[in-house]
Amino acid sequence: MGPFTSISGFPAWLDLLIAFIIGTGFGFALEQAGFSSSRKLVGMFYGYDTTVIKVFFTASIVALVGSQFLSYFGLLNLNLVFVNEYYVTAAIVGGVIMGAGFIMGGFCPGTGVSALSIGKIDALFYVLGGLTGAFLFAETYPLIQHLADNAYRGPVKINEVLGLTPGLFTLLLIAAAVIMFWLAELAEKKFARPDITNQI
Amino acid sequence: MNTRQKISVILLLLGLILAFLPLSGNYSFHGKPDKLLTEALYENTYFTADQVARFAITEDSTIQLIDLRSPEEFRSFSIPGAINIPYGEMLSKDLESFLNRENIRNIFYSNSDYNANYAFVIAKGLGFENNYVMKGGLNEWYRVVMNSEFSGDKITARENAIFETRTRARRLFTEMNSMPDSLKAKYRESKEIERKKLDGGCE
Amino acid sequence: MKNKYMNPYLAGTLLGLVLLSAMYIAGRGLGASGGLKYCVVSVVGALDKPHAERSTYYSKYFEGGQKPLTNWLTLEIFGVLAGGFISGAVSKRLTFKIEKSPKISNTRRLTLAFIGGMFFVYGAQLARGCTSGAALSGMAVLSVAGFVTMMAIFGSAYLFAWFFRKNWI
Repeated sequence: MGPFTSISGFPAWLDLLIAFIIGTGFGFALEQAGFSSSRKLVGMFYGYDTTVIKVFFTASIVALVGSQFLSYFGLLNLNLVFVNEYYVTAAIVGGVIMGAGFIMGGFCPGTGVSALSIGKIDALFYVLGGLTGAFLFAETYPLIQHLADNAYRGPVKINEVLGLTPGLFTLLLIAAAVIMFWLAELAEKKFARPDITNQI
Repeated sequence: MNTRQKISVILLLLGLILAFLPLSGNYSFHGKPDKLLTEALYENTYFTADQVARFAITEDSTIQLIDLRSPEEFRSFSIPGAINIPYGEMLSKDLESFLNRENIRNIFYSNSDYNANYAFVIAKGLGFENNYVMKGGLNEWYRVVMNSEFSGDKITARENAIFETRTRARRLFTEMNSMPDSLKAKYRESKEIERKKLDGGCE
Repeated sequence: MKNKYMNPYLAGTLLGLVLLSAMYIAGRGLGASGGLKYCVVSVVGALDKPHAERSTYYSKYFEGGQKPLTNWLTLEIFGVLAGGFISGAVSKRLTFKIEKSPKISNTRRLTLAFIGGMFFVYGAQLARGCTSGAALSGMAVLSVAGFVTMMAIFGSAYLFAWFFRKNWI
């Protein structure tokens, strides 16, 4: 029963090798989707290219559906899969800062690194800025520690907050995503900028 | 159909299946710690050993005794009718089918009160209702049910009733626990089948 | 001759399968900003060990003799680098380029890229996840934190989009 690395005695080097291989798959998928192009990524916020929302929601829904089926067939113990912990203030404030960074830089760290790997110089500067940002955070941590640890709620799950079963919530999420995909395609037609989409 | 429509249809179908599958849903701890603590301390959550003795001899089907000790301790002796959920395994087992049965009161016990109280808090935190603790645990059971004697000349009616319950419970306990393992297992299994009928149906 | 990008829905499915395999094999989701953080931590530890040991932030990455460079996220981010390269090579997209709107200068684009990166990873450390770690993987395990972070990122980006439009369009 998965996850495999939770079996005791799993060698550390194998764990890291798996990390590398999964990362390779991650980078490959990101680049194939076109996320190595910053203008394609920010297209979602101006309407001319909504690839981000399509890939993003398809990916998390595929993983969500897949993990639930695996759990149902006893192949994966979902209690042993990490669930992000909810720190209310930090999640919101951090998210707002990230949004600003996204629209300025045109990347997120994963896409930035995959763009860097194919030679995008703006991605290089983005990653350098990113390393600096991590350094800044580490050095100024005592100042922001209180904000970062504020309002801890634990690894809460959405379906519990709403009082639904995971399966039902998944269905609702899929329905919402399907509507969003349809709207996204409409938006692409309405806000089309062929001069950009031909270049990227 | 273009790709978007194909993917949408596939995902919607899968989502529909998931929504209707009987998945237990992975529980995380509900409730704020301080509220949980208040409820644990002030609710009427204790049964005395005498009350549990009465449940045992009448084979009361509205309660479920849960023995929190190790499987070896459980096998050597336990209160008749109890099931074994070792305390250390509480968080790695799916407790839904044991602890979340309609209108059945869970009574936790261990050697003393510590593990039983913790188990109570865990069960409550996981969202199960109807949790209780046998006060004093097996130490109290032994003191009160197995080894107590009545002294004095007169005996009130109430004391008489308690005395009778204790004697019958003592006998039941000794008989059940001195059975060979195979018979004990059969007894437990017959209880299991009854329990499933209580639970079951096409819900 | 450039190849076209993969269909977004298919690419999304591929990415979802990668995420699922991470959950199945390693019991965790993906991540990216964490990998960058560990690189910084290991460099600081190599250059200025006493400072790292004194600081509340750095010291926890070195306790018990751990090496930040041999962390799951660090290896993963190296993998992303490799995977992107392979994809670019296969699809003939390997080329040095600065992507921006023709209306602004290269310097402006690169400066904003640097500042954007700084903001983003700072925010990601605060929110304990970026779009991959919190939003993508968080949604796949139905975590509230992931969902809230995702809404904050996209909402905030939409809010600031108008101010930076000259950068892109």
